[in-house]
Amino acid sequence: MTENHLTGPANPRAHLTSPALHATLRIQNKLLAAARDHLAEAGFTEIHPPVIGPVTDPCSRGSKQVDVDYYGHRYKLMTSAILYKQASLLAFDKIYCIAPNVRLEPLETADTSRHLAEFHQLDVEWAGASKEQAVQLAEDLVAQMVRRAVAELPQEFEVLGRDVGMFAGLVKGVFPRITHAEAVERLHALGHGQSPDAELDWDGEALLSAQSDRPFFVTDYPKGSRGFTDRESPTAPGMLRNFDLIASDGFGELCSGSERTFEYAEAVTRMRETGENPRKYSWYLDLMREGIPASAGFGLGVERFTRYVAGLDAVWQANAFPKLPGVVSP
Amino acid sequence: MAPGFPEKQVRRRARRGASAVFPPADGYGRVLFGAEPGEPHDLLDAMRLVPPVFMERRLAKLIDLGREPTYQDVELATDIGGFHATLPVYVSALGSTRAAGGDLGLALSRQAAAVGVPMVIGENIVPVNGYGRLDGDASRSLLGRLTAYAEHVGDGLGGVVVQQSTEDADAEVWNLVYSDPTARPLLDSGRLAFELKVGQGAKPGLGGMTVLDAAAAAGLEDQFGIDPLFGDRVLRASSPGTFTAEILRQQIRLMRNNFPRARVWVKLYPGRDLAAAVRVAVEAGADAVTVDGAEGGTGWAPTVFPAQVGLPLAECLRRLPEPPPCLLVSGRIWEGGRAVKSLALGARAVGLGRAALLATAEDPHDGLIRFLECLATEMRLLVSALGQYTPGALGPDDVWAPGDGR
Repeated sequence: MTENHLTGPANPRAHLTSPALHATLRIQNKLLAAARDHLAEAGFTEIHPPVIGPVTDPCSRGSKQVDVDYYGHRYKLMTSAILYKQASLLAFDKIYCIAPNVRLEPLETADTSRHLAEFHQLDVEWAGASKEQAVQLAEDLVAQMVRRAVAELPQEFEVLGRDVGMFAGLVKGVFPRITHAEAVERLHALGHGQSPDAELDWDGEALLSAQSDRPFFVTDYPKGSRGFTDRESPTAPGMLRNFDLIASDGFGELCSGSERTFEYAEAVTRMRETGENPRKYSWYLDLMREGIPASAGFGLGVERFTRYVAGLDAVWQANAFPKLPGVVSP
Repeated sequence: MAPGFPEKQVRRRARRGASAVFPPADGYGRVLFGAEPGEPHDLLDAMRLVPPVFMERRLAKLIDLGREPTYQDVELATDIGGFHATLPVYVSALGSTRAAGGDLGLALSRQAAAVGVPMVIGENIVPVNGYGRLDGDASRSLLGRLTAYAEHVGDGLGGVVVQQSTEDADAEVWNLVYSDPTARPLLDSGRLAFELKVGQGAKPGLGGMTVLDAAAAAGLEDQFGIDPLFGDRVLRASSPGTFTAEILRQQIRLMRNNFPRARVWVKLYPGRDLAAAVRVAVEAGADAVTVDGAEGGTGWAPTVFPAQVGLPLAECLRRLPEPPPCLLVSGRIWEGGRAVKSLALGARAVGLGRAALLATAEDPHDGLIRFLECLATEMRLLVSALGQYTPGALGPDDVWAPGDGR
């Protein structure tokens, strides 16, 4: 427990020298090592996506992208690797990367304990995969990451006072799946006014998360709640072939994934539906015109996942140099 | 500055305030200022407000007050697109019109705030004048106007509406405002809205257009259409943006999803399928839908468009026999007659574009405030003459159009 978990570390030295941070980062290290092993075994190649580019993932709830002056052209810091992940499938059928993302989140997120303006994501993409296959891969991966950390780092969990018994359900690797419509229904039953057309709001997500003893998937979000990269169901228009993985015990969303929009005309139409200007996505759309593989994949927030596994009060405690939204920090 | 617009009358109102609803006393008998029934500019001008002789509501008001009611008993305060306003009036977007930039934009923001009416900040302000955080001159920027408004508005009144159109999405204007510390007081008090600009009355079916020096346009070619029409100056043409019913519906839903604490406004041009577009916007959850009649607009437009393209405001209103809960209209609104006719025909509030700009230019300190006092007085006179004491009680029977059988 940290006294100032809502406001970030008191100073960099105190944070960097704290035994809790050391234990946390060792757990994080182990989680990622386990992920690399698991994915390599499943035939995935690790790639290194760009840090800047002419465009980046547009849809991140209310957050702002960071502009970079690239020889007089407006470039962006990556908010996620999604566009490059899809393009990379022209090289390999199964890829993943662990990369930093920068999102200037709304200031109201500074005290949610769940948002960082700069964070890392374990991003996976799989050519030809369905939503169901991606969900299965995420489930296996998460269970394996936690199994390894729990088995190999008992001391670190002890330093943090984290009872690993709470992962008894998780390590079995069977996570419940509910649709977005069912989640909305449950929230309404709990008296929470969740919009059926929108992403689960943070309070709603926390409510569902607090009721579960293991992570669970929410699938099939409505169009209008996500960006154009999430593919619309060909059989159920208005519904997306996507999913979130939500942690138990109120830790909230860990991972988002979907089948991807990969056909040119569909991508342009969806860009318009999400208020985007296709003109700025020219490199990406040019690739699509000639064809890119259908795929599914997901991104797992490294700090959020570490926070959950380590049982931390706030996500910043899982980052050596945390940047809380709006807080000036190194 | 505003050819074809009653600039003199607007400026007079900005100087004299409420007394300007009457002819000037000193010119009485010499100058027939506004007393001649001149050629009506459009159908809305040609319509007349028609008070009944028998007034049940006036009796109810008389009983309520215990005295004869007067125009001063008309209550004009109303809710506009999620905001509480002292008048059924808002200040429309003035785009990147150079005339609206700099100190004038700030003066306008301060005065709209002081009166407690919502203000729309036009698309293109960020691409043209910058946001004002790390770049350029803060007074010309969006940030400058937001700050000026927030500092002068009373508790619980008014609100700021930030517009974005297709190319502005590249500049992420909404995301910028939503995550900016300056906007936080407005956001926290529920007084920030985002307006999706589908189009504007002055050039239905076209996007925004500005004239730039050729040198300044050189860096914009990969973002905008550039047409070298004027020698050393070029036309920078934004795309109009492609909309289908599904695109409009989903864009509104995404706005609600991404900016849950901001209100959602939608601005439509006077297209022939207006009623369908209004319906889609309302069903998707827009808090307000603005219809900009063909008479509207401060912007740069090819001359044939204002003259021959788009539905006049009166026709727009006629095509919305069951108006949505918060219909806002604009289009050459500058005095109480057009305003009250619009309200009677279903609008919740009217937008002032050129009139607000001219009034502010006439006196950057108090011009708009006095102009709004004048407009409010005129509206009270008209509403009370119709035997009503709130604009919401007006209806289509209060308006007569030439050729009406009634």
